[in-house]
Amino acid sequence: MARPEERLRCTKEPFIEDVGTRRIKSIRFSMFSGNEVRQSAEAQVWNSRIYDQDMRPVPNGLLDTRMGAANKLGECTTCHGSFAECPGHFGYLKLVLPVFNVGFFNCILDVLKCICKRCSRVLLMEKDRREFLKKMRNPKADPLQKSAIMKKVRDKCKLSRCPWCGFINGVVKKGKAGLIILHDCSKTLDGSAEQIRSALSHKKEKISISAIRMLDAATVLFLFRRMIDEDCKLLNLGDRPEKLIVTEIAVPPVPIRPSVFVAGGRMSNEDSITVILKSIANTNSILKETLQTGGQFTKCYECWQLLQLQVVEYINSDSPSLSDSQHRGLVQRLKGKTGRFRGNLSGKRTEYTGRTVISPDPNLRITEVAIPILMARVLTYPERVSYYNIEKLRQCIRNGPHKHPGANFIIQPDGTKLHLKYCDRRIAARDLKYGCVVERHLEDGDIVLFNRQPSLHRMSIMSHRARIMPWRTLRFNESVCNPYNADFDGDEMNLHVPQTEEARTEALMLMGVQNNLCTPKNGEILVASTQDFLTSSFLVTRKDNFYDRSSFTLLCSYLGDAMENIDLPTPALIKPIELWTGKQLFSVLVRPNASTKVGKTTLGNGNKDGMFSVLVRDYNSHAAASCMNRLAKFSARFIGNHGFSIGVDDVQPGEHLNQQKKKKIDEGYKECHDLIASYSKGALTLQPGCNAAQTLELKITGVLNQIRATAGNVCMDTLHWRNSPLIMSQSGSKGSPINISQMVACVGQQSVGGRRAPNGFIDRTLPHFPINSKTPAAKGFVANSFYTGLTATEFFFHTMGGREGLVDTAVKTAETGYMSRRLMKGLEDLSVFYDQTVRNASGGIVQFLYGDDGMDPAKMEGKDGKPLNLDQLFMKVMATCPQRGHDTLSPGEILQILNDKLSEHDASSDDGCSEKFKQLLTKFLEDRIQLLKNTRRSLHLDEDRVGKKDASIEECIAANISGISAKQLQVFLDTCLSRYHSKKIEAGASIGAIGAQSIGEPGTQMTLKTFHFAGVASMNVTLGVPRIKEIINASKKISTPIITAELLSGKDVLSARIVKGSMEKAVLGEVSESIKIVLKSSQPNLVVKLDMQRIEALHMGISADSVQLSILNHPKIKLKSEHVRVIDKAKLRIYPAGIDKCKLQYELHNLKSMLPKVIVKGIPTVERAVINKIGDRYNLLVEGTNLLAVMGTPGVDAMKTKSNHIMEVNRTLGIEAARKSIIDEIQYTMKSHGMNIDLRHMMLLADLMTYKGEILGITRYGIAKMKSSVLMLASFEKTAEHLFNASYSGREDQIEGVSECIIMGIPMQLGTGILKVRQRLDYLPEFKYQPDPILS
Amino acid sequence: MVEHLFEDIFIVTRLDPDGKKFDRVSRIEARSEQFDMYMQLDVATEVYPMQAGEKFTMVLAPTLNLDGTPDTGYYTQAGRKTLADKFDYVMHGKLYKISEDSSSGQAAKVEIYASFGGLLMMLKGDPSSAASLELDQRLFLLMRKV
Repeated sequence: MARPEERLRCTKEPFIEDVGTRRIKSIRFSMFSGNEVRQSAEAQVWNSRIYDQDMRPVPNGLLDTRMGAANKLGECTTCHGSFAECPGHFGYLKLVLPVFNVGFFNCILDVLKCICKRCSRVLLMEKDRREFLKKMRNPKADPLQKSAIMKKVRDKCKLSRCPWCGFINGVVKKGKAGLIILHDCSKTLDGSAEQIRSALSHKKEKISISAIRMLDAATVLFLFRRMIDEDCKLLNLGDRPEKLIVTEIAVPPVPIRPSVFVAGGRMSNEDSITVILKSIANTNSILKETLQTGGQFTKCYECWQLLQLQVVEYINSDSPSLSDSQHRGLVQRLKGKTGRFRGNLSGKRTEYTGRTVISPDPNLRITEVAIPILMARVLTYPERVSYYNIEKLRQCIRNGPHKHPGANFIIQPDGTKLHLKYCDRRIAARDLKYGCVVERHLEDGDIVLFNRQPSLHRMSIMSHRARIMPWRTLRFNESVCNPYNADFDGDEMNLHVPQTEEARTEALMLMGVQNNLCTPKNGEILVASTQDFLTSSFLVTRKDNFYDRSSFTLLCSYLGDAMENIDLPTPALIKPIELWTGKQLFSVLVRPNASTKVGKTTLGNGNKDGMFSVLVRDYNSHAAASCMNRLAKFSARFIGNHGFSIGVDDVQPGEHLNQQKKKKIDEGYKECHDLIASYSKGALTLQPGCNAAQTLELKITGVLNQIRATAGNVCMDTLHWRNSPLIMSQSGSKGSPINISQMVACVGQQSVGGRRAPNGFIDRTLPHFPINSKTPAAKGFVANSFYTGLTATEFFFHTMGGREGLVDTAVKTAETGYMSRRLMKGLEDLSVFYDQTVRNASGGIVQFLYGDDGMDPAKMEGKDGKPLNLDQLFMKVMATCPQRGHDTLSPGEILQILNDKLSEHDASSDDGCSEKFKQLLTKFLEDRIQLLKNTRRSLHLDEDRVGKKDASIEECIAANISGISAKQLQVFLDTCLSRYHSKKIEAGASIGAIGAQSIGEPGTQMTLKTFHFAGVASMNVTLGVPRIKEIINASKKISTPIITAELLSGKDVLSARIVKGSMEKAVLGEVSESIKIVLKSSQPNLVVKLDMQRIEALHMGISADSVQLSILNHPKIKLKSEHVRVIDKAKLRIYPAGIDKCKLQYELHNLKSMLPKVIVKGIPTVERAVINKIGDRYNLLVEGTNLLAVMGTPGVDAMKTKSNHIMEVNRTLGIEAARKSIIDEIQYTMKSHGMNIDLRHMMLLADLMTYKGEILGITRYGIAKMKSSVLMLASFEKTAEHLFNASYSGREDQIEGVSECIIMGIPMQLGTGILKVRQRLDYLPEFKYQPDPILS
Repeated sequence: MVEHLFEDIFIVTRLDPDGKKFDRVSRIEARSEQFDMYMQLDVATEVYPMQAGEKFTMVLAPTLNLDGTPDTGYYTQAGRKTLADKFDYVMHGKLYKISEDSSSGQAAKVEIYASFGGLLMMLKGDPSSAASLELDQRLFLLMRKV
């Protein structure tokens, strides 16, 4: 193969990714020894004074100029930089005596527990030590396992006698107050204590001996210094243990603790850290002096303790050992929402931003945002001068910073920056060269990011194109209100200007409004017409609205900017006069220059069959966006001319309505009174599982709701079609029928906590009503409407309901915000890789295939996350590809073609369709075939064989109705497959973050903590935010555990009752007729008589024998079988166990009080079971836990029995069942709030919670087990703890996750960051084709 | 000559079978004499009043051109002679659905649905009448009282 190697020649310089000078790959956490602190310091600090008389920093003081400039006036004497340039240098403060570091105090304690207090060796036998060391040294062990081993080592170190030196060790404890470690040998000094005591007893004077010694910091330091390295390794120490103790304090650079002069420079305000360090330096010098002068021991000790406490305050001023501190220690600087981690590292403040009030403008396109000129003059974009833009930029420079299309700066290629305010702009414009960068004002078409808080999902920040406009507000098309959740009641929004070409491109392609029309939550369209647009569309498309030529053309001209060429469609009515309908206008709207017809158009968001959805899917987002633009423009102009307002007469009820309402209310009240009367007589028939009061409440509530509903219906029926509220509600623009009927007819029942108004006074709601009144009016039923006005009591009840709503919203926002944050932290680094797997940042696989089919949830067309809406697509194919005389296929042929297609390469499972999709497609076509057969049957044709089209009229009609030609089927299948493939999720998609947002965002919309009836009345299930919280936290104890038990013979009520009876807890007291004490001279005893009638009736299957057994098994009643005697089927005799006669009476009574509580039947953890009827089948809803026992109950179909308690499912059925249960429970909760979320998001969450083999909640504990990165955990919660632990064990953090990359300012390995341009820059070795020349 | 897709004489049996909903449009129910077809049709009664019991001829045609050249889809206003000249009431629309009605037992019926700019038509009857109709076809509906 002799072919000369061709070198790759590039016409341009190859692109080399600029990663800066250095890229941080990993971080190791460690501790500084005193030596290291000294070496890295520039100055020693020992002077406790800060400034001298002239307010100059004292040398060797805390603001020594060698540590950097203290404020803008100062200068660093180390590097001679100014305040802005020099980041400062460290100093050090030598402590006379060592002190503990609070952060490591627990670690120090743990190490001390494990080592001998004389020879510093680990208190383990050699064999154990080797074993643990081997485990510890295992290179595969992750930090989590290592710390678990360390815990085991600590628990194992219980040897009292050191195996190395024989020293007797005691227990190491924390002292009561302050940072004191005690070594308590009192219990372990075997014998020796006694010896001492006996020896001392001869002495006359009392000498108290205490075996408790204090381990002070100096002693501990001494012990730690002597530890050998192997032992350090064993204790998971990443470094030498003596570093855990502070001997030198690193004094932080001055610029991070600036000093501010006040009162004309005579005084200064110091930072907390400076203040604390000052007092440390002070105490330190006092201590030094006392030690040198040989002061009293107690005085020295006190001074030392003070120093210790001050160092504690310096590190953590919130430490429990301090009483209360006014200062902010180092830990306080790091932790919390505004701390260094969350406030400065994870979220950064930026330039090139703007914020102001927003207002609507339907004349803007949906992709545009209007920016006030004032703002555009400040926000700039650095544009590089080239041949193409030099003239434009010259003009900008000439205009300068104060005239709009101007510029603020010129940056020369050598890096000098020229401010255009202070120079001759004409000369600057003239001298402009290619390659300069001009920071020009924002102009039309620039790309900006637009955002509104709270940013709950990714559509809360989108990229728009700028339109520079006068006035002072940011304006945008109302269609984009939905994703931002914005309204114009004073909302403000933020604007950011990307500063590089790359950033602009990425923003446009990924964050552009046009590319985010659909939400990834469930694939529904989110950017859609709202409010007025819907109203005017509704008005214009009324069936009896006809437009003549002039008015129709006028309407058409509203659509655009008079730039479009509009073809008038053929009028719907040609004779007697030409008339167009409003629906034809929509044909024009969709296709201005060729008329088609759209059927029913739905324009709003939140569904998948609407016009805009169809446009996005079948055409492209651009088509949908331009239709929205046209509709917005049209609507604004139309409704401006048409007029639309609302007044009092719109909510005036008619005479008919008043009569009807009065009748209904009277009827309802009467019914309620009857119910109350029968309740007080006790004649109310109870509902299953309810007592009389609950039944009454239920029934009354039902009646009252019925009143409101019927009044509302009457009201809606009687309103004229021109009624504005009615139009708004029907068009879906604002308001619901309930709102209208509240205004016109009747406000209805007010509820607090899901019940009628509670009693605020003694046995009544308000003193206006008689005591114990349960009438509708006394419990908060508002019979009036907002039009007629509320009575005083009604008003009061209404405020009660209103307040609940307000309080709930306030509480909920905080709760859901925290939930979203946790979800985000848990899922942030999950993304799809090129092999379709979902992995976290360190490469651990969470899912092998995203969502089991690798589809993108944002692109799903069908309901319930199905990839395609086959019905709609089929109709489209049938319409766009007519049969044109081709023969139709027979059922057999259709299946044949389908199978051929599916078995073709591109449909095989390895590169494409999931099995589910194939089934879907097959099912759909089978349905079609069924339809075809039906048609042919009803037309009396052969069902399975299709004749020629022209054979008979019937054939022709059948073909017309449901026939499919070969071409059509081919086109249909091709479209299906190609569309399916285009819906695959792209590699790099940060699907974790999207999932977290998709679950977190709906949380904010969940109104009220509603309780929902699961089929049966009185059976409550927690729903809403509390339930989602329970699931996500993986709570051990949930508020309403319910097991749904399917029955083996589900159609039989009797068997259901028997199973229910065997599950429900029954105590002896409930099933016995009597428990009596029989006092006889021979042997006093207790007689229990069972109520056999009741037992039979409830199918409990209890007999005296079973009762005997349960009594004997009761843990507290310690009786033996001879004490409990069965007399007959229903009678037991129980003798007290004790023989002691004096206690007999007491014991009998004790037994009598215990016996009724003995559980004789059922599962103790089950509160109750309710029989639920679904269709003709019965199942049991069991309130309580213990799934295993319920599944084991005879008659229960264990295979189909479910529990809503995830932890219990995990315990009983395993992790896979738990995963399924998490998915189902989240979905159920969301569904019952009317929220539709793609299943894939929940799958991902469930997989994340279960992929470690145990259920990890999305809480600080669970996340700590999921993630390995210290920085990520530190930026989440418990900042200081994580950092201290990491430096104790010397953890190394790879900078690969999202949080870490943000903290380090590195692009993350997700999304567009997943790929890199890789190039071999060194040339390949040249291949030689002949031997080396001998002479060269 | 234009080939009519359908032609028959109907008698209006009822006006607004499900109540009057609009001021200027009424839904008529009609039954044909020749093929015994049943029809529901929205008629702009403001411009073309109709009463129960009236008789009218209805024609469905694919084009208004007298020579039968297919309709272009563009609306021309040249004052040529058209089929519409012979009729009082002409609508233009699209056929959007054909289905069979199997509920009526033995004698299968075909339902034809068309929309004339939102004014709907449903024609039910013998399958043979629907033979020449196709899905998504542009239609002209022409009416004349007799």
